[in-house]
Amino acid sequence: MKRMEIAPGVHLSWDPAQKFNRCRVSIHFALPAKRETATAHALLPLVMERGYADCPDMTQLTKKLARLYGADLTVDARPMGANHNLCVSVTGIKDQFALEGEPLTQEYAELALGTAFHPYFVGETFDPEAVKIEKQMLKKALEDEVNEKRLYCQRQANREFFGDSPAGVRQEGYLEEVEGLTARQLTDAYYEMLRAASIELIVLGCGEAQTEAVKNALLEELSQVERAPAALAENMAMPRREPLYKTETFDTTQAKLCMLFTLGQPMQPRQLAAVRLAMALYGGSVTSRLFLNVRERDHLCYYCSSSFQSFTGSMAVNSGVEHADAARAEKAVLKELADLCDGPITDEELEDCRRSLLSGMTGLEDTLGGIETWYYMEVLRGGPIQSPDEARAALCAVTKEDVRAILRALTLSVSYCLTREEGSTHA
Amino acid sequence: MPEKQSVLEQTAADQWKVLPSGLTVIVRPMPGYSGTHVIYATRFGSIDRDFRLDDKEVHLPAGVAHFLEHKMFEDQDGDAFAKFAKTGANANAFTAFDRTCYLFTATEQLDESLDVLLEMVGKPYFTQQTIDKEQGIIGQEIKMYDDSADWRLITGLCECLYHSHPIRSDIAGTCESIATITPEMLYDCCKAFYAPNNMVLAAAGNTTMEQILAACERNGLMEPRPAERVQRLWRDEPMTLAAKEKTLRMPVAKPCFGLGFKEEPLPSGDLRSEMLYDLILCCICGGMSKLYRRLYDEGLTNPGFGGEVLRVDGCCCILFTGESDAPDTVRQLLLDEIARVRAEGVDREIFTLCKNEKYGQLIENLENVEDSASQMADFALAGQTVAQQITTLAGLKAEDADAALQQILCEERMATMYIQPDGTAVLPEDDGEEEEA
Repeated sequence: MKRMEIAPGVHLSWDPAQKFNRCRVSIHFALPAKRETATAHALLPLVMERGYADCPDMTQLTKKLARLYGADLTVDARPMGANHNLCVSVTGIKDQFALEGEPLTQEYAELALGTAFHPYFVGETFDPEAVKIEKQMLKKALEDEVNEKRLYCQRQANREFFGDSPAGVRQEGYLEEVEGLTARQLTDAYYEMLRAASIELIVLGCGEAQTEAVKNALLEELSQVERAPAALAENMAMPRREPLYKTETFDTTQAKLCMLFTLGQPMQPRQLAAVRLAMALYGGSVTSRLFLNVRERDHLCYYCSSSFQSFTGSMAVNSGVEHADAARAEKAVLKELADLCDGPITDEELEDCRRSLLSGMTGLEDTLGGIETWYYMEVLRGGPIQSPDEARAALCAVTKEDVRAILRALTLSVSYCLTREEGSTHA
Repeated sequence: MPEKQSVLEQTAADQWKVLPSGLTVIVRPMPGYSGTHVIYATRFGSIDRDFRLDDKEVHLPAGVAHFLEHKMFEDQDGDAFAKFAKTGANANAFTAFDRTCYLFTATEQLDESLDVLLEMVGKPYFTQQTIDKEQGIIGQEIKMYDDSADWRLITGLCECLYHSHPIRSDIAGTCESIATITPEMLYDCCKAFYAPNNMVLAAAGNTTMEQILAACERNGLMEPRPAERVQRLWRDEPMTLAAKEKTLRMPVAKPCFGLGFKEEPLPSGDLRSEMLYDLILCCICGGMSKLYRRLYDEGLTNPGFGGEVLRVDGCCCILFTGESDAPDTVRQLLLDEIARVRAEGVDREIFTLCKNEKYGQLIENLENVEDSASQMADFALAGQTVAQQITTLAGLKAEDADAALQQILCEERMATMYIQPDGTAVLPEDDGEEEEA
């Protein structure tokens, strides 16, 4: 992947990725998340994905994509710690597969740029009718959050964990604010994004001339915008605290447990290799302690896994447990962590985990999504951008003590349980 | 366009070989890729409950295929996951209604990983003790799916549509049904369905047919095997419904609903009709249809509302599922649209565009090693190749859809499933929750 700055706060990342059947053009907008505009930014992708100035009708846009052999246009917003990221992407088959010789790549670029820079306005704002419909969709999505118990439990735990910190802004939107949002407010949020966001144009699977054309078209669009890129929020970490134990009652068949830990200090990019190995060893792989001991040996849960979020220096352990076993599972999760911090770690288990991670890193450039995710996360994390090969080398150098240092720094902040009955749900 | 044909043929090409043991091997070398994805699949899934093996009749409780999949990872030497950990491969498995698949992705030590996979599936080992041990974990898995409204809609609809077909039962079974599993049952299943002539080995990525065949040789799959005499036993399934309607209460925020249409079972290997039904659904309620737009704009369903074809031996049904505050209105709108399209014919433009989308999807699925191997294995289990699928798709005409629509999606063979909120999934307040210390 080659990366270059093409304007202040605007970068182009490019990989010709010739082996793939498809190509992909994506434009990422990243900016610090703000509480007051969170709901507008959550609604923005839904309205933008419906259509744009040259193709305002949702059904016509779906037909246009079908005509391009089912090209995928996605406008996707997601939290990246205390930053908000909106990505407009178009992925489709390469020109060589077009049955009628259509110039597909050119159309993908026009679609992505049109969606990002020429939304469909009625007068000076987004179409109020489209805004009204998509507000209902956002409301529905927020109300339905509770249907997915695993996600719901994680989000509830996050809300307790982050509180009022910038990383605690609910980037999925605030239900009570949706109804009152206006087309004007949404338009203002859109212009704020164009003005303040760091922009990353990622072009994968296209030739040099095609990439140059997309780059120039983006610069042409940006020349119409008064840009003032805002500095992105740096990696953060929540301070340590006395653990908070919360229980919420649902009549589910299986209880859900989410435990959140803080590193206490922001993760430094140089720690990442040790973090990766620590997660694989603790709960991120089928050779991890949580999988082998809590699931396989003790049969306390169907799933029990850990994951680390580098932007917020936090670790989540999620599990699905018998209602009656929730307290035991919580205790077991803590015990496994303590055992790794203070007890023996065998060479065999460490190397098994390392081998699995190395293998995964070798294969991640086998998919367009893998390439894009890897490099864009490297960009957002700050620090020098590591290629997968460099990250592999760093991983090979990690020692048991490096792993222990990471795990020892993690302390429990929140334990959130969804269960049928109140009672001994926490250890 | 001969040049185009050549690009397509080259991209979709795979190498097939049927070994003396009966095993079908399919390989797609993918230059430039680091990883290889391998799938070892058997035509044995949750619906294979009753069969005759030689002269013995075997009747299985629900969930045996899935249980067997879990137990396959364990042998006398221990856990296969631990062996995969030594090769760095990322392994997994899944059970569907009509198949069980064991798979891994590897970037190094492919030979060693192939040996672990072929040996694990080829040398099963079960005892009552190891079976008892697995029941706890699988019980948890069953409970996890019990909390999934989407999954309960599918299983509920199947219970309404079918009197006796085993598709009525959950793939994982119930805690009670898996409690009756014995080692003998599992060995019978292995003998009947894990014979090489009932299996497919598909590999895509950084490998060659020679490498895969060498692994088969090392694991005794090049030698002829005596064919087991296996006969699947099916109970009669009338075309009537077991129930017209069913309602369930669950902790969901919004009501969910499903509509199921019972169709004539399709002959084995008839992927053309399945593809045609998919295109018809796309025309009736896909993203380009008038109906979808109306439901969306009026907020009558969630954006994910849509139809799918569920087809296995002895069973074919079309299921529509979604969330709605007004499921009966949606049902009526859907029925009206089906009647309109049946009378007027499918929209020619949308039909062609749906074909375009399917073509793009087939090309996309050839792009990465996982999708590529999965697609090859799926089609091979039905005796087809990816290239044949592309040809079949190209040959489908709107008139074929019009004709098929005269026979399918009939209201008298329709069942409805509702999931109503039980009242416990109220939306959370921001404050006022008790802290437990």
